[in-house]
Amino acid sequence: MKFTKPLALLVGLGLAASFAGCSGNNSSGVTATAGSSYSSTVDQGAGANATAFEFWTFVELHGKFYETMAGKWNAQHPDKQVKINVNVMPYDDMHNKLQLALNAGEGVPDIVDIEVGKFPNFTAGTPQLMDLTQVAAPYAKDIVPARMKLYQMNGKQYGLPTHVGAMLAYYNTDLLTAAGVDYTTIKTWDDFKAAGAKYVAATGKPFSTADTSAMWQISLLLGQNGSDYLTADGKLQVNNDTMAKGYQMLKDMQDAGVLKTIDGGQPDTEQAYGLINSGEYAAVVMPEWFMSRYPAYMPDLAGKVAIAAPPVNADAKYKTIGQGGTGTAVPLKGKNPEAAAEFLAYAKLSVDGATEIWNSLGFDPTNMALWSNQAVTHDPNNAFNKYFKNNVFDVLNTFKDSIGFLQSQTFQAMPNVNNAFGTTVQNEIFENGADIKATLDQAQADLKNELGQ
Amino acid sequence: MRDQGDRMRKLLYSQKLAPYLFILPFILTFGLFWLYPVIQAVVMSFQKILPGMTTYIGTTNYSRLFGDRIFWLALTNSVRYMVLTLVLLIPIPLLLAVLINSKLGNPKIKNFFKSTMFVPALTSVVVAGIVFRFLFSESDSALMNSIVEFFGFGPVKWLKHDLTGLAALLVIAMWRWTGVNMMYFLAGLQAIPTELYESASIDGANAWQKFWSVTVPNIKPTIVYVVTISVYGGLAMFLESLMLYGNNNSPFNQGLTIVGYLYRMGIEKNDMGYASAVGVVLLVLVLTINLIQLTATGTFKKETR
Amino acid sequence: MTTTQPSPRPANPGPAPTRRTPKKTRTLGQRIFLYAVFAFAVLLCLIPLWAILMATFQPGNMVFRNGLNLGLDFSSAGLQNWVMLFTDSGSYFVWFGNSLIITLLQTAGTLLVSSFVAYGFAMYEFRFKTALFVCVLIILTIPFEMLMLPLYVQINNWKMSDSYLAIILPFLASATTIFFFRQFLRGMPRDILEAGRIDGVTEFGIFFRLILPLMKPAIAAMAILNAMASWNNFLWPLLVLRTPGKYTLPIGLNTLLTPYGNDYSLLFIGAFFSIIPILILFLLFQRFFIEGMTAGAVKG
Repeated sequence: MKFTKPLALLVGLGLAASFAGCSGNNSSGVTATAGSSYSSTVDQGAGANATAFEFWTFVELHGKFYETMAGKWNAQHPDKQVKINVNVMPYDDMHNKLQLALNAGEGVPDIVDIEVGKFPNFTAGTPQLMDLTQVAAPYAKDIVPARMKLYQMNGKQYGLPTHVGAMLAYYNTDLLTAAGVDYTTIKTWDDFKAAGAKYVAATGKPFSTADTSAMWQISLLLGQNGSDYLTADGKLQVNNDTMAKGYQMLKDMQDAGVLKTIDGGQPDTEQAYGLINSGEYAAVVMPEWFMSRYPAYMPDLAGKVAIAAPPVNADAKYKTIGQGGTGTAVPLKGKNPEAAAEFLAYAKLSVDGATEIWNSLGFDPTNMALWSNQAVTHDPNNAFNKYFKNNVFDVLNTFKDSIGFLQSQTFQAMPNVNNAFGTTVQNEIFENGADIKATLDQAQADLKNELGQ
Repeated sequence: MRDQGDRMRKLLYSQKLAPYLFILPFILTFGLFWLYPVIQAVVMSFQKILPGMTTYIGTTNYSRLFGDRIFWLALTNSVRYMVLTLVLLIPIPLLLAVLINSKLGNPKIKNFFKSTMFVPALTSVVVAGIVFRFLFSESDSALMNSIVEFFGFGPVKWLKHDLTGLAALLVIAMWRWTGVNMMYFLAGLQAIPTELYESASIDGANAWQKFWSVTVPNIKPTIVYVVTISVYGGLAMFLESLMLYGNNNSPFNQGLTIVGYLYRMGIEKNDMGYASAVGVVLLVLVLTINLIQLTATGTFKKETR
Repeated sequence: MTTTQPSPRPANPGPAPTRRTPKKTRTLGQRIFLYAVFAFAVLLCLIPLWAILMATFQPGNMVFRNGLNLGLDFSSAGLQNWVMLFTDSGSYFVWFGNSLIITLLQTAGTLLVSSFVAYGFAMYEFRFKTALFVCVLIILTIPFEMLMLPLYVQINNWKMSDSYLAIILPFLASATTIFFFRQFLRGMPRDILEAGRIDGVTEFGIFFRLILPLMKPAIAAMAILNAMASWNNFLWPLLVLRTPGKYTLPIGLNTLLTPYGNDYSLLFIGAFFSIIPILILFLLFQRFFIEGMTAGAVKG
C-alpha cells in the first residue's frame, strides 16, 4: 500500500512550484491582512462598569466603526459606558441566525446590523425589535427623512440608517478622455447612451454594466420616475410600464454595446472590481458607498475616477434615490435595550457619528448637517478625497433636496421581489435576451403565487 | 443490599431484557430526533408561523405549493439531478470496480488507484464547492474555459446557463462519489465466491456473459443499497449548489433544489409553515421512491427476515 | 476472523503464474486499456486538488477575479498565504481544533452506540424487532434536510442551541452505521455468545469483551466514513452554532467567503489544509477499510 506516493508527488511538485513562486515578486498590489475572523484593534476606553453589548454585523468595517464610536461615547458619558463585542458573520448566515434567534427569543444580539433588503423580514408578525423613535428624536431634524422611513413600520422606527447611498455615476476619466468623451456633458440618459456609443465606437469596449444580480439601475429608474415595485399599499406591480420602459432603455443600450453584463453579475463583486480596475468598463452607476470600494479594490484607478450625479431625464420626479444600507436595530430580548438604543442613536445619527461614517467608511451620512461642513467633507487628508478627482459632497449637494425613496423597501414582499429579480428577471432580460414584458408578467404571476396575494 | 445486587445481576444476565437495552439508544433517537420532528413538520405545514403569532390555516400552504412555479422548478431540478447521478454514478463506478477486481494488472497499482479515487470524498462540500466554482469561472483564464478555448470555442458563462450549471453540479457529484460507490461495489464484488466464475467459465461463458449472469445478480443487494442512498442524496442535494453558486440564489433558480427551496422559505424568508409543507412533500417523495424500490427488489423482505 | 495481519483479499493473485495462455498480446492490450482508464480517472480526481494547491500560492482575490487553473501566475505567486496561515490566521486553528474535537467525539460516540444497537438487532430475537428494524431502514431513506427545521425548533426549545451536544446527539444512533454493523454481525457465529454465557459473562460483557474486539475491521471502515461525514458536516452545525469561538472548520471557511470580509487569502489555503487530517486518518486506516467494507457488504 504505497499510497504515500501520490501525496509525496503532490507535495514535491507543490514545493517546487512554490520555490519558483518565490522568485516572482508580489506585484498584485493586494496586501494580505489577518483572516476575516474579527479581531478588535480599537481601544474603546471602556471602564470596568461598562455595559457589554453583543453586536452582530456582516461588514467587518462596521465592527471597527462601532468600536470607535464606543470610545467617543465613553469619553462623553463616563456614567454610562459601553463596550461593544463585535461578531462578524457572512451576510446570509447572519440574517438567518438572527431570524432563528429572534424566533426562539434566545441567543439574540444586543445590537444588530440588518441589511435593508432583509429588513422587512424582521418587521413581520410581532416585531421583536425595539421602537427607536424616542432615541432618534434629538437628531431627527437633520436626518434625510427618506432613509428613516426605510426602517419604519406602522409608525414605529425599528432601525436606524447608516448612510444615504445616493445613486451616483463614476467615470474613468482617463479612458473617457482617450476616447474623446467628456463626462461633464452627460446629464440625461440619452446623453449617457450617446456618450457610451461614442466610447464604444472609439474603443470597442463596453461603456458600462448591465446588472443581473442587483437592482441598483432599475431601482434608480423607478425612483426617478416616481414608480415602484409595489403599490403604496404593498401590492405587486412589478410588470408596470415604467419598469418595462426602464428595462427597455437599458436593453437598448446593451444591444448598442454600451452596456454589457459583468462577471459577478454587478459592479459590487470581486470579479467586477478586477474588471473595472483593469479598464474593461469605463463607467458605473452605483450608490455612493461604492466609492469606498475604489481605494480598497481598484488601486490602479487612483486619481482617474470622477464622481457625477447619475443621468436623469428632464421630467424626472427625483434626481436620484438612496440605495442599499443597513438598518441597525436593537432586539427586545437583548441585554439592556434602552441603553443600547441610546448609544446606537448617538453612533449613527449624531454629527460625531456622521463624521466618523464619512471618514472611516466613506459613506454619505444621513445627518445632512455634515454635508455642508467643509472642514470635514473637504479634508485634503481624507483617503477618499485623495483618491477621487472631485469631491463627492460637491456632487451630493447638487441634489440634496431631490433624493427619492422606494416605499416598497419597507414591505414584506420586497425580499421576495429582490429574489425574483436578482435570480430570474434580470438574467432573462440581459443574459437570455427574453421579451421584457413577458418576463415581467411571469415574475408578477410567480410572485403573486409565492406571496399568496 | 444483597437483594439489590441480585436484581442488578438479573438485569445484566437477562436475555429477555438485554435486546431492549441494546436498542434503547436507537429507540430514543428515533423517537426524539426523527419521529417527533416528522410529526412537528406535518403540524407546522398546516400553520402560518410568524414571530409571536402562529395560526392554523388548513391546507393553504399546500395549495400555494402546488401553484408555485418555483417549487415545481426546484422539484424538477432535484429529480433531474437525482436521475442523472443514478445514470452516472452506478455504471461508471461499477465498471471501475470490475476492472479493479479483475485478474489483470498489478495489485499495487490497483491499490494506489483505489485509494486515490477515494480521496475526493474526503473533502467537504465547502471545499469542493469552492474549487469547482472557480474552475468553472466566467473568466477566460479559468480551467474549464481554457479547455473549451483549446477546442476553439469562446469562453462560456458556465454558471449562468442551465445545462452548463447542471453539468458543473454533476461533475462535483462524480468527483466526490465515484470513489465511494466504487468502494461499495468492490466490497460487493469481493464477496462473490470465485467458484461461481469458475463454473461459468467451464460452461463457456465469456467475460460479458459472466458479468451479466454472475456479477450483476450477486451484487444486486449492493446495487440496491447504492441506488437507495443515491436517490436520497440526489433528492436532498443542496449544499453542492449553495457552494457552487456562492449562495442560494442562482441565475434563473437553475441551481435551486427542493431542500434549497425549503431552506430559502424556512430560514431565509422565515416562512416555516410553508417550508414545512415543502419538507413534507420531499419526505413523501423520497419515501415513496425508496419503498417502491426496496419492495420491488425484495430487500425489505430479506433484511427484516 | 481475526487475522492480525489484515492483507487485501487475494481476489487478484498478482501476475498470473499460469503462463500457458496463448493470448499474451490480448492481455497486454487489456492491461494497457486498464491502466489507461486508471490513469485517466486518477488524473480527473487529482486535478481539482492540484488546482486548490495552486490557489494557495495566489492572492485570494486574484482567484476570485481570474478563476482557478492548473498553472501559477508567477507575477503574483508566493508563499504569503502559507506564512499567514501559521502566523496570522485569526481563528483558523480554533476552528480546526473544534472540528477535531467534534469529529473525535462524534465518531467514537457513533461507533459505540451504533455497534451497541446493531448487536441488539443482530443477535437477539425480541418483540417488535421487525417493526423497529423497518424504522432503521426508513431512517436510512429519510433526508435529514427534511427534518432540519422542526429539529432546529426543538433544539431551541430544549435550550440546546449553540452547543456541540446538539450537533452530535441526534446522530449518535446512525442508521447507516447500524445497518452496516448488523450486516457484519450477522455473519458472526453465535457460539461466541453461548461460550460467553457459559463462562458467566453478562450480556453486556459479551458485547464489550468478546464481540467488540472482533468488529475491528467493520469499525475501521465505519470510522473512516463517520469521521469523514463529521469532519465535513456543514448544514446542521451552521444552523446550530452561533458563537464564532465554537465554529467548525467548514463553517469557518464559509465565513471567509463573505463579500464584506475583504480578505480571501485564508480561504484557499484554509480549504486545502482542511483536507489534511482526514487524509491522514484515511491513510492510516485504509488497510482495514476495504476489508471492513467487504465484511459488512450488503450480501445476497
